Amino acid sequence: MQDGATSGTERPVRAATAAPRSVIRSMIWATVPVLLLVQLLASAGIEVSSFVSQMRQLDARVVRAAESRAHLIAEPLWKLRYAQVTAVLGEILHDEAILAAIVYDDTGAVVARVPAQPAALGGAEVSRPINYSNGNITVQAGRIAIAYSYGAIYAETGKALARLFVAGLLATLVTLLALRISANTFIGKPLSVMMSAIQRSKRDGRAYQADISSGNEFGQLAQAFNAMQHTTSDALEQLRHLAWHDPLTGLPNRRSLTERLTILSRTARTPDALIAFCFIDLDDFKGINDTFGHDAGDRFLVHIAGLLRGAVSEDDWVARLGGDEFVVIRPDVADEQAAQAFAACLLEAISEPIRLHDKQVVPRASIGLAVRRADDPELSHLPALADIALYHAKSKAPGTIAVLNEELQRDYRRRRELELAIPSGFAEREFEVWYQSQVDLVTNEVVSLEALIRWRHPDHGIISPAEFLPLIERSGNASRLTNYVLTDACHALKRLAAAGRSEIRIAINLPPSELADQSFADQMQETCARLGVAASSLELEITEGSLINNIASASETLRRLRAMGATIALDDFGTGYSSLAHLRRFPLDKVKIDKAFISDIPDSAEDKAIVGVIASLAGTLDLTLVAEGIERGEQARAMTEMGVRYGQGYFYQRPQPLDAVLELLADEQAVAGGARMLAVSPSLVPELWVPELAE
Amino acid sequence: MSWFPRVLIAAGLACGLLASPNWAIAGGARLNVVFVNPGKTGEVYWDMVSETMKAAGRKLDMNVEVLVAERNFRTMQELGLGVVARADKPDFLILSNEESAAVPVLEAAETAGIKTLFLSNTLIGADAARLGAPREKLKTWLGDITTDLQTAGTRMANALITAARTEKWQSPDGKIHILGIGGDEITPASIARNVGLDLAVGAAQDVVVDRMLFANWTQSEAEVVTANYLSWAARKGIRPAGVWAGNDPMALGAIKAVVAAGLEPGKDLQIVGLNWSEPALREIEAGRLLLSDGGHFLLGGWSMVLLRDYADGCDFGTVSPHVQLKTSAITRDNLSSVSTLIKTRAFDQIDFARFRAKAGACGQYDFSIAALIASMPSSASSE
Repeated sequence: MQDGATSGTERPVRAATAAPRSVIRSMIWATVPVLLLVQLLASAGIEVSSFVSQMRQLDARVVRAAESRAHLIAEPLWKLRYAQVTAVLGEILHDEAILAAIVYDDTGAVVARVPAQPAALGGAEVSRPINYSNGNITVQAGRIAIAYSYGAIYAETGKALARLFVAGLLATLVTLLALRISANTFIGKPLSVMMSAIQRSKRDGRAYQADISSGNEFGQLAQAFNAMQHTTSDALEQLRHLAWHDPLTGLPNRRSLTERLTILSRTARTPDALIAFCFIDLDDFKGINDTFGHDAGDRFLVHIAGLLRGAVSEDDWVARLGGDEFVVIRPDVADEQAAQAFAACLLEAISEPIRLHDKQVVPRASIGLAVRRADDPELSHLPALADIALYHAKSKAPGTIAVLNEELQRDYRRRRELELAIPSGFAEREFEVWYQSQVDLVTNEVVSLEALIRWRHPDHGIISPAEFLPLIERSGNASRLTNYVLTDACHALKRLAAAGRSEIRIAINLPPSELADQSFADQMQETCARLGVAASSLELEITEGSLINNIASASETLRRLRAMGATIALDDFGTGYSSLAHLRRFPLDKVKIDKAFISDIPDSAEDKAIVGVIASLAGTLDLTLVAEGIERGEQARAMTEMGVRYGQGYFYQRPQPLDAVLELLADEQAVAGGARMLAVSPSLVPELWVPELAE
Repeated sequence: MSWFPRVLIAAGLACGLLASPNWAIAGGARLNVVFVNPGKTGEVYWDMVSETMKAAGRKLDMNVEVLVAERNFRTMQELGLGVVARADKPDFLILSNEESAAVPVLEAAETAGIKTLFLSNTLIGADAARLGAPREKLKTWLGDITTDLQTAGTRMANALITAARTEKWQSPDGKIHILGIGGDEITPASIARNVGLDLAVGAAQDVVVDRMLFANWTQSEAEVVTANYLSWAARKGIRPAGVWAGNDPMALGAIKAVVAAGLEPGKDLQIVGLNWSEPALREIEAGRLLLSDGGHFLLGGWSMVLLRDYADGCDFGTVSPHVQLKTSAITRDNLSSVSTLIKTRAFDQIDFARFRAKAGACGQYDFSIAALIASMPSSASSE
């Protein structure tokens, strides 16, 4: 069955490449020669049998002629009337088949011969005795011999065969013609009508009907075909709609957008008419999905689509590009202010509350707005331009409108440039790993170092991770960067060990994608083994967000890493979900309290309370606590008082290249027991914690 | 040469006057006889029949009127019926029943009461059965006078056989092979002759008739068939001993063919004919024809003799109403006696009165060639 289906689908392809052979011609080629052959064979057979029968008849006729002549000739022969014999014999020549006849008397002498001149004779011969008998005697008076020819029969048969051949040929031609006409009428025409319908359908992408009214099999086939075309037409219509529309909301989709932009440029009222392009992204739609489920998420989207539809005028155009992204285009706005007002109207319209699971939810969205003239050659880039604005709005001020301007575009161009420079950054080893120490707040001893990545760009100088890490993540280089850092950290561990500080561990940040990728554990094991470093010297810092996205695979990866002896630290705790369940559920060794809670300590009682709770919880769960962002000595003291053992921050050491760190460590050992302040590197560069730097 | 016929006539007249019987002159009234001649004017046999009839009439005081049908049987019937319808009816009507065409005339004559006599051909077949014998149903039909041709045929054959045996002309098979040429196969006159041949050959064990051929009485056809026969016989290894021809013309044809074949008639083989025709007599004289049988043209004269006797009360019917004439052969031996008679047709030389029946012997006649020769003036015949 499968073969048949396969060959069935292949055949038309082959037929399309090779010259197609008409079924009628094939039929004719298969039928007509057979017909002609059978006709010719049959007629030839009949003619041959007739030929044989004619020969036999001729033989018999000549024998009869010989016998009757013998009878007639007997008396004149016996009575020696040779002239009469000749006369009687001569009559025999009326038979055209008879060439000659001779009468011999009883002595064997030739008595009569017709024709008189003996000619060279071919063909057959018959000889009969001539018996004379009267009342008294019966004697053999002589013999008659007749020579005759089958020539006439040959000629006649030849003629008949030729006639039959011609007749057969004519009959075949007529049959051919009739076959051709009828086949054309009954087969060819319906087929070509259907074929034409198929070809038109193929060309136009619409399902054309075949106009055949006959009631025969082809009529039925055409009916079935038309019914199929009808079904196909509906399906095609549906497909077309699906291709150009979002099935959930029924709004035009991303594909429609491109076409729409083309239409806009063509149908604009004037070439300098302004087109407002609003790129809308719902804020925290993921949260709604997570909180209320996907069905509710879908309802939410449909609700938003309805709101948008209701908010726009007839000339405006609303589309859903996917996920929580919507686009609204107003084809003719007076100026940028009007466009902003329109965008504000949209935001206002969107914010109409919806009830989900008996909870009232107020939708919020950010809008990237781009305004361009209808004749702008970059009109087709409007989505990308608006997206730049939207990016800005989302990252800087969610729930607001960002209007595309030169600055935003400049930022965008920089991002694009950096993103494109990532591969050469790796190749040129522009990425550098700096280290910041974590300190025992009680003993002031360095217990571990956190590896922090920096990009020393040849044109832009040092670029902070906050700027390039999302680019790394987006360009799919996270794994490569992690491995890069891991390798550097391993080398650093070896140098620490060489410096006699093998007890110091190095922590590296594990991005969410690596945590989800189970191969990271293998990769780390392989790197450690290759560089001769114990995995237990490594600490892996993860964020709550990366855990939540891939709970199952993250758990598995963490378990394996921990089994290898690595320490697992939960980074930035307190700012995200701060889920207590996470603390219990995942195999964690360490929790790093986000610097947001540290910066206002000791002044902020609330922060102190929060940190206190976290500290007490960590103590209960047997987790090591690290306070991030310690910049002042009082903060360090407050932490110690609240039971936080370890800390990290500028107060102790800013992130520095490994050489500088090693130098510091050497100094520290030299002044062991002295002041616990680590010397701060004088050459600080803009880096991760920019606000800290500002202080 | 003109003196010879004159002497002949004179001698004949003298003899006739002297020899005529007493009762004939005394009792005889002049009789009127009409003869419807079926033949053609110039046809030797029928001319001679008429001539002998007239010659006898002159001798026997009978007025003979000859009507010639010119070989047309319708004419013959018209002529005969014309005679029957005449107011002045003849005493006797002589008819020849050739092809049985004279039967209606015979019946009409019966009605008219005219006495009729058939000459040469009489009733045959169905007519004979229907009308019976003379003088039974038809009272006026007196009878017929015909020729015995069968005996003629036999006599001719026997002459051939005798000659062949004498000359020892047997073929390698020891048999004497002869060719028979008949006139036709249907007329009584022909059939009788042929039967005569068959009878003679049947009686001779050493004789074979290789072929009995028919030449329609004509010389030319006889010549053809004889030539064919001779050539066939040569191929067959047969030595032909003789040719039997049913009449003189055919015999003459045979002679020509034999000569053409390089043979000599009379020396290498013998030929016989019938009719006493003048050319035949010349061939006999030349030795190329063995004999010619015949003399039946004298039936004309003999019929007058019968009717004269009947009219005078001596009815030939007392013996038989059918009178058959025995023919005779002319050979080199008796040729001289009759050759002049035939050549000149001087039938008045014949004293027909001498042939009349003797008193008390009505119906008994001697019409032999010997009697004929004897009836003619001896001077004429001896010359």
